[in-house]
Amino acid sequence: MTESLALDAPFWEGARTGELRFQRCTDCGFLRWPAAGVCPECLSRSAVWEAVEPVGTVWSFVIYHRSYSRSAPPPPYLVALVELDCGVRLITTLAGSSADHTVGMRVRARFEEFLDRGVVPVFAAVE
Amino acid sequence: MNPPGAVRGRSAIVAVGNTEQGELPGISADELAVEGLRRTLAQAGIAKGAVNGLITCKSYGGFGIDTAIGRLAGMNPSYSATLDYGTCNFSLHLATAVIEAGLCDVVAIVYGTTQRSQRNTFSTPLGHPDESSVYGFLNVAGPAAMAFRRHMSLHGTTEADLGEVAVSQRRYAVDNPLAIFREPMSLEQYLAEPYLVEPLRRSDLCMISDGAACLIVASRERARDLTDKPVDVLGIAQQTGLRDRQNADQWMRPWIEQVAERIYPAAGISQADVDALYIQDPTSMWVLQMLEYYGFVATGGVGEAFRRGAVGHGGRLPLNSNGGQLSEAYMWGFLHLCEAVRQLRGDAGERQLPGIEVAQYCSTYGFMKAASTVLARSR
Ligand SMILES: [Zn+2]
Repeated sequence: MTESLALDAPFWEGARTGELRFQRCTDCGFLRWPAAGVCPECLSRSAVWEAVEPVGTVWSFVIYHRSYSRSAPPPPYLVALVELDCGVRLITTLAGSSADHTVGMRVRARFEEFLDRGVVPVFAAVE
Repeated sequence: MNPPGAVRGRSAIVAVGNTEQGELPGISADELAVEGLRRTLAQAGIAKGAVNGLITCKSYGGFGIDTAIGRLAGMNPSYSATLDYGTCNFSLHLATAVIEAGLCDVVAIVYGTTQRSQRNTFSTPLGHPDESSVYGFLNVAGPAAMAFRRHMSLHGTTEADLGEVAVSQRRYAVDNPLAIFREPMSLEQYLAEPYLVEPLRRSDLCMISDGAACLIVASRERARDLTDKPVDVLGIAQQTGLRDRQNADQWMRPWIEQVAERIYPAAGISQADVDALYIQDPTSMWVLQMLEYYGFVATGGVGEAFRRGAVGHGGRLPLNSNGGQLSEAYMWGFLHLCEAVRQLRGDAGERQLPGIEVAQYCSTYGFMKAASTVLARSR
């Protein structure tokens, strides 16, 4: 997955070097995710990848108790949506016990090995 | 001037029909769709040659394309098209638009699927493929469960509140011979189910099934030739949320509210005029959301609304009287409209509800778009 040649490859490369990176439009400045070849605000094709402060708020989280695919993590596993302070909404996972997690919890990204996927963003509560 | 979407009976549904639902091996999805069409025309006594419009719905595995269905059904309609998504609201709205434009005046809307026999596991990621698949964010249950946990956190909703949706719909399905799930289910039984995607349980999610459904829609003039019990399309409304995750609170689908604002002026009725409500339900959470956005219950008040008999089985406002996708069958919303039409025509047999003059159907295509239709018994 982290060897991906897809549009989002710089995101996963960034994670390996401890950075959370997204595309910023060089024409209108809009920060976009998911990765795309076009700015959804001004339709420009010109963009650079830029590191952001990896902090945000948990919008919600769920726990999968069954596997919908052989390539999915072994259940039970947790998936969260984090609204980053930079405005991007990122699907990710949370470190620690789910009993301690809450909607609205402030979190910061760590960059950790996750199953066989290599180093990816994993968010943990801000102390 | 009429408000947008004010169809006001210029199109009417003249027939509905369906095949058995469940697991139907040994027949292709397209043959099943044509079987749905055959049964619908035969029951209504409408000749195939009277149909001059065909709107099909793409089904799992790439089936359901209008050109293939037209060939199989031996039709050269004046107009045909395929929608890449279901719920039937979108198909019905397109039918009213092409009838209004005069391109045709009797439209068959058909949908057939063998996704159960084809073993559709719904394991494709939602949202961005790479990011979702890295973390295992699969199936509509994921975002629906996210939305429900957030709703619980913001509004104090409980799992028992949400359980009322599935329990009520199961109660209707007990009386529906077409339904796949007809064993009664109590709230205690619901709460005893293990989580699938916490906080959602098995009964919050619809099971995949095979089957076909069909509706025949005609202009006001042709409708009178084809049936003595037409059901008028009073009003239609739609709104998309195509920007997806760049929209704030996308999985709460706040843009549904815009459909709610438009549909009653379009239909020329007030919400209090609705005698029976249908809400498309791949998950019970979508029922909860739409009950709130359309203003049938106060935000956070869904459980209470069921418990005090405002909505649901035995309540003042019947809701998904066929059992919905959760208990009847997964016909991607098409059977909700079939049921609404049967109730309005007085053709619902043992589960006929008294005094149904106006019915409303609300549906969504996942996180992409929302639609609503108001139907009324023709006077
Ligand atoms: Zn731009």
